[in-house]
Amino acid sequence: MNAIQVENITKTFPGKRSPAVKEISLALEKGKILTILGPSGCGKTTILRLIAGFEKPDRGRIILAGKAVADDTVWVPPEKRGVGMVFQDYALFPHLNVYHNIGFGYRGKDRKERIAEVLELVKLSGFENREPHELSGGQRQRVALARALARRPVLVMLDEPFNSLDAELRGRMRLEIARIIKESGTTAVFVSHDQKDALAISDQVMVIRDGLSQQCGSPQEVYRFPENSFVANFVGQSNIMSGVIGEDGRSVETGLGVIPCEHLHDCRPGEKVEVSIRPDSLELDERGPLLGRITCLVYTGESYEARVDFVGEGGDRMSLLAHVHPERTVKLGDMVRMKLLPEFVAVLGCRPATCQVPRSAGTGRGAAD
Amino acid sequence: MIRPVSSLKRGWAVLWRDNPPGAALLFSAGLTALACAVPAFYVLERSLSAGRGRWQGLLDTRIPQLLGNTLTLAAAVTLIASVLGVGLAWLVRKSDLPGRRAWQWLLALPLVIPPYVGAVAYIIILGPRGWAREIFGERVFDIFSFWGVVFVLTMFTYPYVFLICGAALKSINRNFEDVARSQGLGTAEIFWKVNLPFMRPALGAAAILVSLYVLSDFGAVAMLRYSTFTTAIYYRIDGYDNVSAAILSVALLALTLIVLGIEVRARGRRRYHQTSEVFLPPRPVKLGRWKLPALALVLAVFACSLLAPAGVLVYWASLGIARGALAGEFWRFSANSVGVAALAALAAMLLALPVVYLRSRHPSVVSGLIEKLSVSGYALPGVVIALGLIFFFSRYLPMLYGTFALLPAAYVVRFLPQAIQTGGASLNLVSPRMDEVAKSLGCSPGKVMFKVIVPLVTPGLLTGGALVFVSSLKELPATLLLRPPGFDTLSVRIWVEAGEALYHLAAPAALLIIVLSIPPLKWLLARR
Amino acid sequence: MRIIDLTTAGLWVAVIGLFLPGCGPRPDPSAGELVVYSTRGERFVQPLLDKFESETGTRVRALHAGGATIVNRLKAESRRPRADVIISNDVGALEHLRLRGLLRGFEPEGIESIEARYRALDNSWFALSARTRVLMFNRDLIGREEMPRSVRELADPKWKGRFAITRGGNSSMIAHVSALRREWGDEKTIDWLAAVNENAGAIMRGHGEIRRAVGAGEFAFGLVNNYYFHQQLREPRNNNVDAIYPDQEEGMMGAVVNAAGAGLIRGAPNEKDAESFLEWILLPENQREFSYASLEVPVNPRIEAVGEAAHISDYRVHDMPLSALGGVWEDTRLLIERSGLALELR
Repeated sequence: MNAIQVENITKTFPGKRSPAVKEISLALEKGKILTILGPSGCGKTTILRLIAGFEKPDRGRIILAGKAVADDTVWVPPEKRGVGMVFQDYALFPHLNVYHNIGFGYRGKDRKERIAEVLELVKLSGFENREPHELSGGQRQRVALARALARRPVLVMLDEPFNSLDAELRGRMRLEIARIIKESGTTAVFVSHDQKDALAISDQVMVIRDGLSQQCGSPQEVYRFPENSFVANFVGQSNIMSGVIGEDGRSVETGLGVIPCEHLHDCRPGEKVEVSIRPDSLELDERGPLLGRITCLVYTGESYEARVDFVGEGGDRMSLLAHVHPERTVKLGDMVRMKLLPEFVAVLGCRPATCQVPRSAGTGRGAAD
Repeated sequence: MIRPVSSLKRGWAVLWRDNPPGAALLFSAGLTALACAVPAFYVLERSLSAGRGRWQGLLDTRIPQLLGNTLTLAAAVTLIASVLGVGLAWLVRKSDLPGRRAWQWLLALPLVIPPYVGAVAYIIILGPRGWAREIFGERVFDIFSFWGVVFVLTMFTYPYVFLICGAALKSINRNFEDVARSQGLGTAEIFWKVNLPFMRPALGAAAILVSLYVLSDFGAVAMLRYSTFTTAIYYRIDGYDNVSAAILSVALLALTLIVLGIEVRARGRRRYHQTSEVFLPPRPVKLGRWKLPALALVLAVFACSLLAPAGVLVYWASLGIARGALAGEFWRFSANSVGVAALAALAAMLLALPVVYLRSRHPSVVSGLIEKLSVSGYALPGVVIALGLIFFFSRYLPMLYGTFALLPAAYVVRFLPQAIQTGGASLNLVSPRMDEVAKSLGCSPGKVMFKVIVPLVTPGLLTGGALVFVSSLKELPATLLLRPPGFDTLSVRIWVEAGEALYHLAAPAALLIIVLSIPPLKWLLARR
Repeated sequence: MRIIDLTTAGLWVAVIGLFLPGCGPRPDPSAGELVVYSTRGERFVQPLLDKFESETGTRVRALHAGGATIVNRLKAESRRPRADVIISNDVGALEHLRLRGLLRGFEPEGIESIEARYRALDNSWFALSARTRVLMFNRDLIGREEMPRSVRELADPKWKGRFAITRGGNSSMIAHVSALRREWGDEKTIDWLAAVNENAGAIMRGHGEIRRAVGAGEFAFGLVNNYYFHQQLREPRNNNVDAIYPDQEEGMMGAVVNAAGAGLIRGAPNEKDAESFLEWILLPENQREFSYASLEVPVNPRIEAVGEAAHISDYRVHDMPLSALGGVWEDTRLLIERSGLALELR
């Protein structure tokens, strides 16, 4: 059974023309982690607030652990939903110490044991009597998570949880939080604008833009086979070219020639499509078929980011971004030969993207719908 | 039938931006707002029910006279207090005046002296039988004159300008001054071209505060036998000519609204933002040969606004205490004062919470209106509030009319804004995420209020309560008009005894009020 | 920061808690309570009320205010009276209230000690002490010969700024104007009031303030009740004052006399205590106290007057019967208001 299932929810805020969230559907199995990824203002936090019950959807249905909590007739207030929240600023109660923060909503008889248990889980045993202001950023975050987990929520949701941490701590906390969630066996929804968060910890990623779902899938799927140019550029860097699907159905004809392609997104031969070429799939090769001039070169430490101008078959110029191994010596203005690796070349979807909701037995609507 | 109901529901949701408050919250905040609107409403209603003749009679002669008196007084006090306040603020914040840190606190201290107490002190010093006459043999200055009133009111209101503009000056980034200096501007030019424009919003706010104060002051003006709207209204009510009082009150309220309107317009036009992320503390300007004159000015202001009145009061209080002024009576008056002020403070704290919470967590036209009504008291002079309450209670709650319940009611209407301001400031520091986390942890809205909000805003509310307490303690005109027989407070005693020139009896009460006012002022200063 | 805030707050709560028990009216269940409205100087009346309180155990709550305030307040409260007794320094006000049906008559013990012309027909009020309107002057500033002989002269511009009077809402002032109206008619009285309003150097809250101001030489003279003159004479300093009884010459109206007394409010909430208070105050000892506190002349001839106070028989008085003041009280008040004198202090 899905821990959370959202069906076609739409939300327009009063006084606004366009909906903040439009026809969003998603589903997540118990114990999995989903990241809702998108630029700021894309509506991802609204989805989270809709699920938590801080906002009411205009249309659609939200089902938590098999029970509808919001649809045309049902409305369950946030305090009765059993959804744990971790906010960006953690929102620890400043008037309570760690122990009482974690035990805030817990009413069971085993309160003491449960608090000790979650403290153990987040590795903060012995911090019970600390006040929130005596904790470091990472510790506060773990307390906030422990507080959300203490009540054994159906679902825990984290809103940009790593935003206020510096880069180094961010990397560590990412893994630590993922560990805690996995260990506790909880289902989790993250909201983030950082693709690294999403790719590192998620079982599922959902990319959102302007309130509309752009793509759903595993991190690998989303990175390797972006549905559209927005996803291709938002999740990693990408070069977008137009082309036509080859007769064999395994390649695309572009200005750079025929490119082998692994994923065609159900597009048929002969169809005009766009192709995403990751900078990593362009590699220096003495015998490569492509000849171009480096017009811009940025050294990032991990690699060179080089902009290479190619002259296509039809004579038109094309400027592509390529990653060059930092050991190679290249200069601005060099003429270089390159080849294309098919692993990171993908045809973008030629139809509007939809997120497929995996139907499971026991939820409201039948499969025939 | 279902459609209109659902569209009504939708409209309600849209009104509250999809975040409607609970019934209990809306009801308590709404009731508070209505209660605060009662005095102004009934004053207006009564004035309209007065016949044309009554209006005509007052409009012909009395209102123009009072308008002239009141406006010239407000203009003179505001102008002088502004110049003085800005000058002192500049000296204390921007120059190398000796003892700058101490002056920051000392020059704000006159705020603890209620102007009517200051007036008493200056009647003792400069009055026709005053010390000055004894020392110099003749009257140096007639305190019972227009300029006498201006002097007294200025001495006890300039600290508003001093504090607010001082804070603004302090927050001006030095970068701007450094840029100006690098472009070859001198200190005076920097003051006119950099400091003053930056201070303008603050100065405007402070000037409005001072003018509103002058419009509403009764005690000092009455003690110095000057006529303004407040004294005219007071004596009309005193003579039970409530209808004329209502007409004069409406004229005064119109004047107040005009002043407030000026503020809103001025605020809308100019707003400055500090652009730089880096903040450098200001570098003091060297006063050079101006150091001594500047110090003399600061000392003179301090002497006039604090040392002299405080000295007079201490002298008379010690005389009074030696003659047994601290008898049982005195403590009974003190207990009355403290008790009724404490009641008002408690009520203000309780009433402020729903208003503040509604405004912060459920923003909408309705909650904005509720807040505006609830803070309208700060523009209502005490005499007008008293008049409105007299109308309301005698008509609708006659069993309470003439009891001491009217006093805390008047204080709450008048001073609730102070509790709302401090409570609101402290609630603004509590992220709405706190509420949401608590809800996600299973707390109902009521429980969120008591387990999260109340503990977190209690310090702010208590500070507000302390401010209400002190303001109520000092309040004079409404207390005089509304107190039941036999219920005298410290402020009433100061009025009565000073009127009889029994200064040894007035001084201990005045000193007690001043001493009780110091702790909340410390809080105000800490915030600035 | 927050902890510091909390401790200061705690301190405040403690201070408030300390005072709170003493606050508010505390009715003592064993003894009664009495509400007195008084238009006489608080300084003269309060000691008497305290004496009553300590002798009988009845708690007295007093409201001291101006004559117009008290009379109008009693009228406003007539449907639900809050006061039991009124003490007034103007018999006219008492009679006015009686005519309006706001006082109730009874037969107090000891009432026969007061002459009939000094009490109401139904004994709902009675006078205890008499006073005369005089012009008190500072001898350093003006000689007896220079002083105006008649109150009429106060309208003369030559006195501009040199004298002080009370507000028009003052009881003694109202009674005085009633007498002037009877003598001069309304037209002339209004002109006089307007001129005096223009001429007066100060319009003060009460006569106590005037006597101090004149004593200190702030003004050459002031229009006061005669006992204020005696009081100023007793001051350790600033006592070089004298008084003239105005309008004494042939054909003049004579000095205006008034009396202070007490009355019983109809529908008084504490009727029994009110009656016992009025009987208590008629005891010779208390009649004496009533007059002596302010240095007035007792109405009861058997009570000896204070030494320096001049006897009514020593000078010419206006012939208006005191109770006649009652019928015109309201008219006079309105007339004063129309003239502008009832307004604020100056």
